[in-house]
Amino acid sequence: MDSHGQGDNDGSSGSSNTCPICIGPFHIDSYLDKCFHKFCRNCILRWSEVVAGRHSKPPSSVKCPLCKTENTSIIHGTSFQKHYFNQDVGSSAFFSDAHKYRLQCYYIEPGTLTDTFSVSLYWKSNKYVQKNRFLFNWLRRELQALFQKEDVDIIAHHLHGSIDSLGSSKTKAPGDSPGTKQEEFKALVSQAAEPFLRGRTSRFVEELELFLASGLTIEAYDKVYIQHLGWKYDELTPDDDDVIPESTPVVPSLSLFNDDDFE
Amino acid sequence: MRIYRRPNHFLQNVQVVAVGSSYLVQSAAYKMQASRARLFKEYKEVQREKSADPDIQLVCDDSNIFKWTALIKGPSETPYEAGVFQLAFSVPEQYPLQPPQVRFLTKIFHPNVHFKTGEICLDILKNAWSPAWTLQSVCRAIIALMAHPEPDSPLNCDSGNLLRSGDIRGFQSMARMYTNLAAMPKKG
Repeated sequence: MDSHGQGDNDGSSGSSNTCPICIGPFHIDSYLDKCFHKFCRNCILRWSEVVAGRHSKPPSSVKCPLCKTENTSIIHGTSFQKHYFNQDVGSSAFFSDAHKYRLQCYYIEPGTLTDTFSVSLYWKSNKYVQKNRFLFNWLRRELQALFQKEDVDIIAHHLHGSIDSLGSSKTKAPGDSPGTKQEEFKALVSQAAEPFLRGRTSRFVEELELFLASGLTIEAYDKVYIQHLGWKYDELTPDDDDVIPESTPVVPSLSLFNDDDFE
Repeated sequence: MRIYRRPNHFLQNVQVVAVGSSYLVQSAAYKMQASRARLFKEYKEVQREKSADPDIQLVCDDSNIFKWTALIKGPSETPYEAGVFQLAFSVPEQYPLQPPQVRFLTKIFHPNVHFKTGEICLDILKNAWSPAWTLQSVCRAIIALMAHPEPDSPLNCDSGNLLRSGDIRGFQSMARMYTNLAAMPKKG
């Protein structure tokens, strides 16, 4: 029964100057991203809501009402703005609870975690020479949280590259004092990030330093961060429970080290 | 620090709630207006192209734009040929986001139509509905269903069983008999 009638749609919608959903003139031209069929922005958004309402969790794609092609987003506006279907519900595929918590971190006062992760130790002990293999994923998530956009890979690569170049140039100049290295790092990252992050640049650099100083995996870092702030994340904590057993041993040794030697 | 953190946390939630509720109010109003506006457009389209599809005659209820009836001609080379079948449309307020409810008012012997209630088993009237369908195109889909019954999802088991057992002749004579009994336009 699937077969019949699909071609009928074209004839019934009359001319191509009307939206197939409201049969009226287009109000804010919006195109589906795969098949490029055009609808009013509101019409196709309402339809995507109806489709989403049928599923227990929001689907990442919606079938085109005209041709049944699966589409993941609507493109509209002069700037070809993309609207992902599952964004309405506030839980887009990429924007997880972890992203929400990272974004919220930017609304609290800076410096709350400096007792936990000693940034100065990081520079004094030349830890920056070692590459942090979690850094790229951390950068990407941080940028996704700040921009609330999924595709931040270019900026993440850009920042990762400049941090990397710093690490390698540092090894050639071991005579520098920790302070100047830190300053150099801050200046370089700020310069790289400023065009994108603007007012949030300096805070971003601080958060980046904290993460590097922690030497933790992303999961373990989140755990410590959230615990320290005393926030409760019902969705975050159960998942993290599996991760703690391996990662917690790092934390006490780190804070012990800090207290004894430098505080 | 605490004073600074809490309000922000709080504000964010409030914002989400506010956005959510205005959205709901908006969409309720939208549905009602949108369904009327669209049905009115369909009505005008039907008036304009009355002769375009001689097999379908769609009529809107005088007092209620959400109630329609249609007369469709039985497709040729089927046992429904020469019959005229009446359909009743009940359009929901969420139309076209929700499909219209359609049933046969005229008795019809067809595997996908309930013999007593006239209920129609057709995917596009259920989960395969698309807002690009119109009442007119739904009528066309029903005519197509009359010509191509789907005996594997029967609402009328007797009819479905005849077809599934390969008794085409038995099915056709039953269907033709009911067409003659119920669907023949009265003369004069």
